[in-house]
Amino acid sequence: MQELAKIYGETLLLDKKFSYCPGCGHGIVTRLVAEAIEAFGIRKRTVSVVGIGCGGFSHHYMEIDAIEAMHGRAPAVAVGYKIAKPENIVYTYQGDGDCSAIGLAELLHTANRGIPVTCFMINNNLFGMTGGQMSPATLEGQVTSTTPKGRDVHQHGYPLRVPEMMADMRGAKYVAREAVYDAKSIRKAASSVRKALDCQMKGLGFSFVEFIVPCPTGLRLSVSDSYKWNKEKMVEYFKPQVFKNEMEQNDEN
Amino acid sequence: MVVRRNVIRYSLAVDEKKRSNLKTIASESYMKSETLFLKNAQTFAEAMVRCGVRYHFAYPITPATEVMKHTSVILPQYGGRMVQMESELAVANALAGCACTGTLGATSTSGPGMSLMQETISYMAGGELPCIMLDAMRVGPGDGDIVGAQSNYFQATRGGGHGDYRVIVLAPASGQEIVDIMPEAVKLAYTYRTPVLFVIDGVTCTMTESANFPEPHDYASEFDTSSWAFTGTGDHPKRYLLTGSYTHSQGEELNNHLLAKYERIKEEEQRWEEIQVDDADVVLVAFGIHGRMGQDLVSNMRADGKKVGLIRPISLWPFPDKAFEKLPESVKSMLVVEMNHGQMLDDVRLAVNGRLPVHFLGKTGGDMPLCTLAEMTAKINTLL
Amino acid sequence: MRTNCTFSGSGGQGSALLAKLICQGAMKQGLQVVMTQTYGIEQRGGDSTGYVVVSDSRIGNPLVENDADVSVALSPTIYEGCLDGSAVGGLVLANSSLITETREREGVKQVLIPASDIAVELGSVKCANIVMLGAVLEATKVLEFATVEEVLRDLMGAKKPALLEMNLKALEKGRALYLSAAE
Repeated sequence: MQELAKIYGETLLLDKKFSYCPGCGHGIVTRLVAEAIEAFGIRKRTVSVVGIGCGGFSHHYMEIDAIEAMHGRAPAVAVGYKIAKPENIVYTYQGDGDCSAIGLAELLHTANRGIPVTCFMINNNLFGMTGGQMSPATLEGQVTSTTPKGRDVHQHGYPLRVPEMMADMRGAKYVAREAVYDAKSIRKAASSVRKALDCQMKGLGFSFVEFIVPCPTGLRLSVSDSYKWNKEKMVEYFKPQVFKNEMEQNDEN
Repeated sequence: MVVRRNVIRYSLAVDEKKRSNLKTIASESYMKSETLFLKNAQTFAEAMVRCGVRYHFAYPITPATEVMKHTSVILPQYGGRMVQMESELAVANALAGCACTGTLGATSTSGPGMSLMQETISYMAGGELPCIMLDAMRVGPGDGDIVGAQSNYFQATRGGGHGDYRVIVLAPASGQEIVDIMPEAVKLAYTYRTPVLFVIDGVTCTMTESANFPEPHDYASEFDTSSWAFTGTGDHPKRYLLTGSYTHSQGEELNNHLLAKYERIKEEEQRWEEIQVDDADVVLVAFGIHGRMGQDLVSNMRADGKKVGLIRPISLWPFPDKAFEKLPESVKSMLVVEMNHGQMLDDVRLAVNGRLPVHFLGKTGGDMPLCTLAEMTAKINTLL
Repeated sequence: MRTNCTFSGSGGQGSALLAKLICQGAMKQGLQVVMTQTYGIEQRGGDSTGYVVVSDSRIGNPLVENDADVSVALSPTIYEGCLDGSAVGGLVLANSSLITETREREGVKQVLIPASDIAVELGSVKCANIVMLGAVLEATKVLEFATVEEVLRDLMGAKKPALLEMNLKALEKGRALYLSAAE
């Protein structure tokens, strides 16, 4: 406990138990975000705007102010907040349903607007909180509670790749997709979280990181199988990569 | 992949110099009382900015667009900005985000745009977030028509969003009244931590008239929001805005808290204008443009020896029930006139509670989307 | 004291400007004004009407409801509307350069002013509206003549002295024409 406190400082509430299911990828991402906030020393001026879904719990484990937005609207709330209080750091923490189903318009326009806010999309490729229904990110043929015979792409379209859509948006300055299925991928993910927040702190523009995470409960898999499934199936379609990093040039100026 | 390109730092910082020196710049051109000749939608924009609104979020829609056109010009002069969003959904939520900082923001919209905002109005009522909103009412349902109407009375006073909530609804009837009531609106928004919604028919919004503006005064900044604003844990222990509930008891507590607030508002914030009701045979009840026409109607008919009175609700929620509590015995009936097919009519009937017959005259849409003074007069003559 | 005015014409004839000038002048004299407008759907060339209510006290009914005390008809297409929209006891000023067919309406006084022709003589057909404004002021006394001259000076003054000169002449000419025509 003492050692952990050194790393997480005051941001992560270590005495608070996660209510995420065992093995849930949210735990990892929440911790990474808390770590970055602590490392930058921005806890006191950081505000989290969380979406509806399991990601909505994320702020309960951190000693930061938080706003629970209506389903899908977190990026718009973040924009309004940032405009009225530009000195604060604002990030959204949303699932793939919140981000890419109901809230795609707000997310993409926020990316395009380029106002320096950060959006984290935690993609477990289904609606976790409501019990594992198909989301836009559900893979072709994947069985969920609303696709009992597997996702039929002729009826539901193909799994939606979100950061790819931001590649051409000049307001987006840091755009990445990361995974969290092993130590190496987690280290990369941690680096992207830091860069995304740094991008905002420097006032460069919009930053976005998608995280491919497992939802053992929704996938009806054991914890280890869900991570294996992430590593083997998910990242094949949703390839982790940094799509855009337009921060360096500015650092030289 | 690193793209090498010149990156322009995005500056969000409002020109603090402008903000703090507002009195200086304004003393040259903006800080004196003056009479302006503006479309009432522009008067709304001027009035809210002069009372301290610094952020206006909006999406183009007729006839409310005039407001955002005007604020896009004047707000930068006050160190604020108009932010055009991608939809009314985004508008309402950006407004909520702005309110979370304790800053007073505003929006303006019409018909379908108002419908899109309902979810967030429910959210802001639940989250107790103050803001100023304008519904420049036009004909519905659906896309309806851009012609002015009063068809959103139900939506405004009952709430088109979900849940047991209310917002304060104000219905000024002229450009001058928009100016006069705006400081009140800001005070109401902060005192009760609630959205304050103006409903003004599109005909009134698009007409141009003279209005006397007092010296600008930033009422918004006089309210201390530090006890609730979500400005970061540097200012206070962790706070979070939660309009949903994790336990059933939390949901009940929130609703009881809101109910008590709404009861207080009902008791203390009813507003109306009353003309010669004391000895009237018939009382006209109308808000907005018809209420304003009622001022002439009463004096014209009184000049002919006909005892007509007027009750013009200015706050639609809380509805001015008190105006109907002690109606004199002389009153035989009432006439409600609206630019719709009978919406406020329900509230008048509830207020009268069966004691008197309540008649109705109304219309919506068309080249002449309201009842003329001649039509109103003719109808009242049938009741005398 | 309340005066209801209707200023009507085809787009480009300046009926809306006419309405605005009256409003600006009224404000200079501390009067209250409301202006409402109707337009054709076309951006240019459609009919356009500006309604103005001028009053020295709070304006209740903001509309001119077929009870105009004074109406200006600049083009033939809106002439009938002006005549029908006049109050009994009202006055219609018709631009006889373009409105060649008129009819009588009981209780409504009509004065024909060849505004467009006069405007051309003065230098531009565009100032026909100002010729009419001069007639309106003389006929109704709704505003002081000097106030409207001041409004024109504010509007055109320093930047366009020649234009101002022409419009001031048009205003005066309109007044003279009304006086001689009304006799």
